[in-house]
Amino acid sequence: MAMADHGTSLGLARSGSRLRVDRILRHMAIFLSLVLLWELGARSGWLNPLFFPRPTEILRSFYVIFIGTGNVWFHLYTTLAAVFGGFIAGSILGCALAIVVGLNPTVRRFLQPYIIVLEATPRIAMGPLIIAALGFGFTSKIAIVMLVCFFAPFVNTLAGMLSVNPSALELFRSLRASKWQVFSRLMLPDAAPTIMAGLRLAMASALSGALVAEFISSNAGMGVLIDRYTGSLNMASAFASLLTLTALGFTIFKAMELLEAKLIYWRSDAAMSRMSARRARAWARKREAL
Amino acid sequence: MPSSLLDRLMRLLPHLAILAAVLALWELAVHRAWVNAFMVPKPSAVFDAFVRLYVTDRIIYRHFFITMYEAVAGFAIGATVGISLAVMSALNESFRRYVSPYAIVLNVTPGLALTPIIIAWFGFGMGSKIALAAVICFFPIFVNTLSGLLQQDPDREELFSSLGADPVQRFWKLQVPAALPIMFAGLKIGMTTALIGAVVAEFAQATEGVGVLMQRFSFQLNMASSVAVLLTMSLMGLTLYYAMEFLDDRLVFWRRDRGMARVARRRKARYLARVAAPLTKPDQTMKGRNAT
Repeated sequence: MAMADHGTSLGLARSGSRLRVDRILRHMAIFLSLVLLWELGARSGWLNPLFFPRPTEILRSFYVIFIGTGNVWFHLYTTLAAVFGGFIAGSILGCALAIVVGLNPTVRRFLQPYIIVLEATPRIAMGPLIIAALGFGFTSKIAIVMLVCFFAPFVNTLAGMLSVNPSALELFRSLRASKWQVFSRLMLPDAAPTIMAGLRLAMASALSGALVAEFISSNAGMGVLIDRYTGSLNMASAFASLLTLTALGFTIFKAMELLEAKLIYWRSDAAMSRMSARRARAWARKREAL
Repeated sequence: MPSSLLDRLMRLLPHLAILAAVLALWELAVHRAWVNAFMVPKPSAVFDAFVRLYVTDRIIYRHFFITMYEAVAGFAIGATVGISLAVMSALNESFRRYVSPYAIVLNVTPGLALTPIIIAWFGFGMGSKIALAAVICFFPIFVNTLSGLLQQDPDREELFSSLGADPVQRFWKLQVPAALPIMFAGLKIGMTTALIGAVVAEFAQATEGVGVLMQRFSFQLNMASSVAVLLTMSLMGLTLYYAMEFLDDRLVFWRRDRGMARVARRRKARYLARVAAPLTKPDQTMKGRNAT
């Protein structure tokens, strides 16, 4: 019986993978034909190559900026430093403040109108103000990213803290859980998925924030690079830089997803069983030691 | 009515008191030079700047409406494209499969990184601002509409299929009403994002608009006016957000009791008019028949 099951599931897996290969091939075919169309359009002068650089040209620019002159690395590093520095500072600040506020209903009520106003303000718009206050250097870039990153974790942490399951809270109270226990064992795990969503949003806007800061005023970073290339109408290199940012954005997105699966293991079955296996092992070891 | 108004005022009072206290403390802090007046302008200076911008010099209105126009036009384009692509992907699975990778690529690209490229494409005028706003607000609208249209309630599905609903009916009476609340959440996000797109494009390269004003004042180190412009942007964001909220309230009326009651009242009136009409009409028709 078990063997037969194995057989069918294997067969299914094989046909499934063939279907997937088929599908990927079809995706590739569509993508390549689009690229080819673009190439032909640009070559025949149907698309203005000044604005729509040929794909081969973009590939060449990739080679040039990454290996040939290698000038992208420095700018990439500068932008990433601002993104991560600002993200970490801003999100920690946002989560911490939300926890302080979330635990106190009076403070929450009086802060509410300001939150609404802040939410409607385009936060990146504070860029020139911050640059005027803190100068043209790296500090103001970090400050802008921080500002952009602060809000989503703050709001989501607050929302997560407020949406505690009342019957769970009652259970905790009736078991005489301390305030700290209620916070660490009930509120934080309950709010974790919402907080993670906020952090993801913040991470996505962090990259935009850093780029805008660089557009406004800076002398290093991917934003400056794109601005400079477009300014000199070297569109192929501008596109190559842009696609680098796409890859970066994708990597960051995937990394956040991975982090979420690790941290909030109780939401996915695979991670849950992995975690429970580890705990069972630890428990067995402890028993043996006794 | 007056008592509820009084109630509301009483509830507002502590908020106002706190606001006044914070502003007074701030004013004092700057006045006594605890904080640098250069970086954090005095509230009174910001108020002066407001008066100058809105009443004395009246320079803000032009910029205000230009940016507003850019944001709304960009939003309209982005929303139209986003919603139509989402509807197409919801109706056709292979379309969805082949379009979604590009939508995802567009999403992970920081949209504001396109600013210089879009300015090169669309020029220094309003076009580039509208285009950036459209590009940026496209994704949240697309993704929310699509997920709204694709979400399925098995019970409703079963009801629709057991009553023999055709695909058109299923789309308009099942999928669209279920998608509207989520779609509006996306539209609200998109609205504020469109404003960001317009402002950022103005930072990069423009001659008019609130973003230009902001940048000009900041670089003149006229911080009070910059803060006044920033608050103007908050005002714009709030206006746009509440406009969407209003539309949401009107169109997705069944989510709130108040809206439900409003629509029920209107429908009842319409129904009564229709039922009452035949009661008065037969007289006339009889007369008509007699005449012939």
